[in-house]
Amino acid sequence: MKTIDITRRAARSLRNAKARTILTSLAIAVGAFTITVSLAAGEGAREYADKLIGSNINPQALFIVKDKTVFDGSARQAPLRVYDANTGNNQGFTLKQMTQADIDTLSQRDDIAYVIPTYSPDVQFFTFSGNDTKFVSSVSTYDPSILSEVSSGSLPGLNEQIGDTDAIVPGVFVETLIDNKVIKNESDLIGKTITMTVVKAAQTPSADDIAKALAAGGQAAVQSLVSSETKEFTFTVRGVTRKSATALQTSTALQISAQAAREISEYTTKGTPQYQKYFAATAVVADGHDPAVVKDDLAKIEFYAQTAKDLQGVVFTVVNTLQGIVLGFGIIALIASVFGIINTQYISVLERTREIGLMKALGMRGSSVSRLFQFEAAWIGFLGGIIGSAIAVIAGTAMNPWITEKLSLGEGNAILIFQPVPIALMVIALIVIAMLAGWFPARKAAKLDPIEALRTE
Amino acid sequence: MIEVNHVTKTYGKKGSSFKALDDISFGIPSGASVAIIGKSGSGKSTLMHAMSGLDRPEKGEVIIDGVDILKLRNKAVDKFRSEKIGFIFQSFFVQANETCYDNVALPLEITNVSPRTRKKRIESALETVELGDKIRQKAGNLSGGQKQRLAIARAIVNKPSIIFADEPTGNLDSTTGEKVEELLFNLNKKGGSTLIIVTHDSDLAAKCDIQIYIKDGDIEKIVGDGAAKTPTKKKGGRL
Repeated sequence: MKTIDITRRAARSLRNAKARTILTSLAIAVGAFTITVSLAAGEGAREYADKLIGSNINPQALFIVKDKTVFDGSARQAPLRVYDANTGNNQGFTLKQMTQADIDTLSQRDDIAYVIPTYSPDVQFFTFSGNDTKFVSSVSTYDPSILSEVSSGSLPGLNEQIGDTDAIVPGVFVETLIDNKVIKNESDLIGKTITMTVVKAAQTPSADDIAKALAAGGQAAVQSLVSSETKEFTFTVRGVTRKSATALQTSTALQISAQAAREISEYTTKGTPQYQKYFAATAVVADGHDPAVVKDDLAKIEFYAQTAKDLQGVVFTVVNTLQGIVLGFGIIALIASVFGIINTQYISVLERTREIGLMKALGMRGSSVSRLFQFEAAWIGFLGGIIGSAIAVIAGTAMNPWITEKLSLGEGNAILIFQPVPIALMVIALIVIAMLAGWFPARKAAKLDPIEALRTE
Repeated sequence: MIEVNHVTKTYGKKGSSFKALDDISFGIPSGASVAIIGKSGSGKSTLMHAMSGLDRPEKGEVIIDGVDILKLRNKAVDKFRSEKIGFIFQSFFVQANETCYDNVALPLEITNVSPRTRKKRIESALETVELGDKIRQKAGNLSGGQKQRLAIARAIVNKPSIIFADEPTGNLDSTTGEKVEELLFNLNKKGGSTLIIVTHDSDLAAKCDIQIYIKDGDIEKIVGDGAAKTPTKKKGGRL
């Protein structure tokens, strides 16, 4: 008997038992729905993460440290470490830092376009022109490899530094500034002068230094030697950044150019062990070089780097784990529905004993009878897959704008992305699973003795 | 030509065994109409099953067109049945929720007849049984006599050389029964297929060329136009 004829007969039998067919396929549809949603959510989350990373981080960027433990997370687990003159404290744990020599080594490499160490400019307070109120906030280096969005003013293009006297103000400052009557509205900020007061820590002078100072300038010179020194740096506000939907994080730091940050941090750390020591550095790999290759090369000379892809990998691992959990529930639902198929098909075989007997009497092969019942199961699997995925696609598409709004993902981003190929593969997988489930009842049908079957009245 | 030689079929195990057919032998010429007559439990149905290859007696031969079908493998027996045998049953066994067309299509699908030929053959078979106008009707909507005629269309659509009819009029009233009988005998005479009717109805049996009476798994007597050979003598000496 030809496959096409068997398929058609199977479809007709199912049409004749509509309620049973639909109920059984609904069981599969539950699993299909869950799997479709998990596939779509995983895809959506990955694409969203991709977008975030893509629009925030230059794919050529490397984040380089000297201490391997930063990336493998073992930093916290090492309470006692071998002393190294280059260790420093960062965010509560001790790390091996980079020196200026390390930065120079990196800068000189052909495969690296430029390197910016993470300066930590220590600013006592700052004021805005036209107002005496003193403010404090963290001050960081403007990272040209990350493109931000501005709500006022302007920013240079990707990979271009801002001017040495430029300052970028995060949007979150605006409210406080308005409250303190520094500005009336956001646009007033552009062009304002920021004066930063930086304090150099007092040093313990040696007896020689004191003697020299006394000889040169008397009591006043000694006084100035042991007192702290202050210096003012002035900047002009160039732009106000805003939190964009695809920004990885909101910057809450006042951003200044690398050169300015360097001047400030070198001024404050001069004469201390922290002078020209850096926790990390951001490098941009020169065009035509693969960041991953550069990363491996750097590891050979004991620099440890993370590429944009690595960061993506971290995000993806989280997404994949969550997706796996949802997928697991879908698979459990499917396993339950498999028993539904077996049960339905067994009942179908019992109900149609005479029909099976007749078909066998007319010379239909046992294998054809078996295929007839397996194809019925396959149709049920197909129907279930189509119903489940269709509901998922329709409901998901309808829900997407709402979800996007609730999670504030930003305009044009969808968390559920339905792709035809995985859905088609899932439906095919469901057909195969249904056929496997249909195998037991089908074998029973194939083994029926036609004489016995026809005797059933 | 159908030859049945020394066919024995036993049901049950040793001790409580029961011989449904006990060393039966006879012959039927091609194109004849034959009635197998007996009371219920006489073994007439078992004989039909053995002759049609549905059942496998443990002893004997059933030679049809020179081939002993009892020696064929299962696959070959199925092929033999699908190509050479047509069945008509007392309770019709038509698929109520399928159309007349699909009911009649089944034997053609089994023998892999091409869809184009299929359509012609189905239409002509339904015309033969005067159901040409019911081709798209569900079989469940037909009357008893129409259902049996549909079953006849299904039996003849493959142009079998032998048609087995098991109590074909048993579930029909006398008027519709007569029409079915007429149809069967017409097919036998004009179509040239051998007709074997299993029945306990002596009126129906009388219309056949040959009557084979079965009692307790044995041949009681064979009445006919002489074409059938007399039962061969058995070891026990009984007829």
